[in-house]
Amino acid sequence: MSSRVSIVQRLSALGPWLLVLPATAVLLFILIIPVAGTLAESFSNPAGLFANYRDFFADSYNRTVMVRSFRIAFLSTLTALILGFGGAYMIANSSQGLKRVLLILSVFPLLTSVVVRSFSFMAILGRNGVVNTALMKLGIISEPLEMLFTQGAVIAGLAYLFTPLMILSLVGVLENIEDDLYLAAGSLGAAPVAVFFQVTLPLAVPGMIVGSVLVFTGSLATFVTPTLLGGEPQMTLATLLYQKAMISIDWGVANTIAAIMMGTAIFCVVVLGTIAGRISARRAVH
Amino acid sequence: MPHSKSLLQAGALAALFCLPVFSAQAQETFVVSNWGYSNDFYEPFIFEPFEKEHNVRIVTETGGAPERLNKARIRGGVDVILLTDKFSQIGINQGAFETIDSSKLSNFDELYDAAKNPQGEYGPAYTFGRYGIVYDKTRTDTPITSWCDLWRDDFAGAIAMPAFNTTGGPLTVMMAGKCAGSDAFEDPDTAFAKMAELKPNIVKTFSSGSELTNLLSTGEAFIGLAQDYAFPAIQAANPNIGWAELSEGDFRMMNTYNIPKNAKHKELALAFIDCSISMQAQKDAAIELVSGSGPVNKTVELTPEQASQLVYGEKAVLSMQPTPYDKLLDVNDDWERRWNEVFGR
Repeated sequence: MSSRVSIVQRLSALGPWLLVLPATAVLLFILIIPVAGTLAESFSNPAGLFANYRDFFADSYNRTVMVRSFRIAFLSTLTALILGFGGAYMIANSSQGLKRVLLILSVFPLLTSVVVRSFSFMAILGRNGVVNTALMKLGIISEPLEMLFTQGAVIAGLAYLFTPLMILSLVGVLENIEDDLYLAAGSLGAAPVAVFFQVTLPLAVPGMIVGSVLVFTGSLATFVTPTLLGGEPQMTLATLLYQKAMISIDWGVANTIAAIMMGTAIFCVVVLGTIAGRISARRAVH
Repeated sequence: MPHSKSLLQAGALAALFCLPVFSAQAQETFVVSNWGYSNDFYEPFIFEPFEKEHNVRIVTETGGAPERLNKARIRGGVDVILLTDKFSQIGINQGAFETIDSSKLSNFDELYDAAKNPQGEYGPAYTFGRYGIVYDKTRTDTPITSWCDLWRDDFAGAIAMPAFNTTGGPLTVMMAGKCAGSDAFEDPDTAFAKMAELKPNIVKTFSSGSELTNLLSTGEAFIGLAQDYAFPAIQAANPNIGWAELSEGDFRMMNTYNIPKNAKHKELALAFIDCSISMQAQKDAAIELVSGSGPVNKTVELTPEQASQLVYGEKAVLSMQPTPYDKLLDVNDDWERRWNEVFGR
């Protein structure tokens, strides 16, 4: 009898673990095993454990693509941060009804396919696109500007693609800043600009970091937008990965690129997460 | 008693629903790996008659050529695979396909010589296509009559060219070599120096037919290096675009049938290939699928209207340049590196 009780007690103690077991098993099969397989493959070159990486970094073209990818991802993140902060600030300070409408409008593009959104940018920046047509009709330019298939076009496309994520990350944070803080700052004589830089901006840092991680890793991983808006001269790691895996069928290089991108994403999350943690801790002490 | 009656009814109903399932399971399944877009045609014209004749159920596996080749090679479960000649050559080099005994194909002798065994004894081609130049005829006063016209000064920023890793990419390098008076395989330095001269004229390198259609329809480019399967969509988007008559000829593209080494129904696969290269199947395909489906069976007769967008007839077949994929795959890595030096920086 007592042994039966102890088994029941033991099982009930294991309850939470048993409940998460199915989800863990599913994650293991659909996420961890394939990722581990990709990592393992990137080291499985008969020429040596790091031969794939050595070959990859030995090629100056690959290094160029890698540097370009990080530059594009960084500039897209910066652009999305500036635009997203403005949007989120406006939404957070709107009335309840308007806030809902603005939030829906800002998230609406996420309901459309990445391909469609990238193509729409072609219609905006193209030789006969909206911008060129407007500038020519206004007499500002006589020849269409070459805006498409440039790095600027890719950055603009990626920023457009990911700014909604930045807005979503920031709105909650900005909403949670208590009005008393603004009142206190104002009563102590701080001008609106000073309030923004000394109150709003520091308190929004965790949201900015979360949004930046999402936009940076997303910009690094997407291949449709760089392909459509940039083309071969703007080749990024994601585009190269797609080509190696799906066209050249060169799995060695494809796995290596995937591992490098994965490592970069994890590094960004860890570093930025640590920064966010330290900022929060410092604020708690103050 | 009513209880047992309802049980009987339920049993009968279950049997009724299960019967087709069991009978379907009893039928052998024959797996065809094909691009998705042509299955609508294959269904009534080839699949259904073949299923009836051989009492099998055809299951299709769709997707792009590289992914289907990979699946068939690694995972298996495919009885016959349809690929472009570039990817069937990759499969042959990987040892993925069976050789085929042509004497078992009753329609084999009716094929053009070029289509019989284009890559050795690995299977016949089933369509002819072409790779050439299309352009908006209203945007230039001097028509394009040669591949070397691509280097003309008045075409600055006008050309959409396929990326290196597409079927057409390396063929442009071959033409660059010819236009520079050398052979790109023997002297890649000269060919790529000529490619570098082409760079100012390239507005974008594209990876798919739909991307090319978009570039030509929006006016971003008015010259495109295209395969004929994409031509109807291009012309629908911009009716001023026509096919250039080139003095060197277009390149001949072929789609091939191959039987994977790990196929379960190899004899049936041979029968399927034989059925697909028959005069009637080839004629139906040419009429229904139109572009990119030039018949490989020389007994097919088409009206001039039916043949207007096809590689059709001996003269057309012979006037095209062959695409040496075995040689191209040998130099692939070196050319890719050189291409990236020119276009990827």
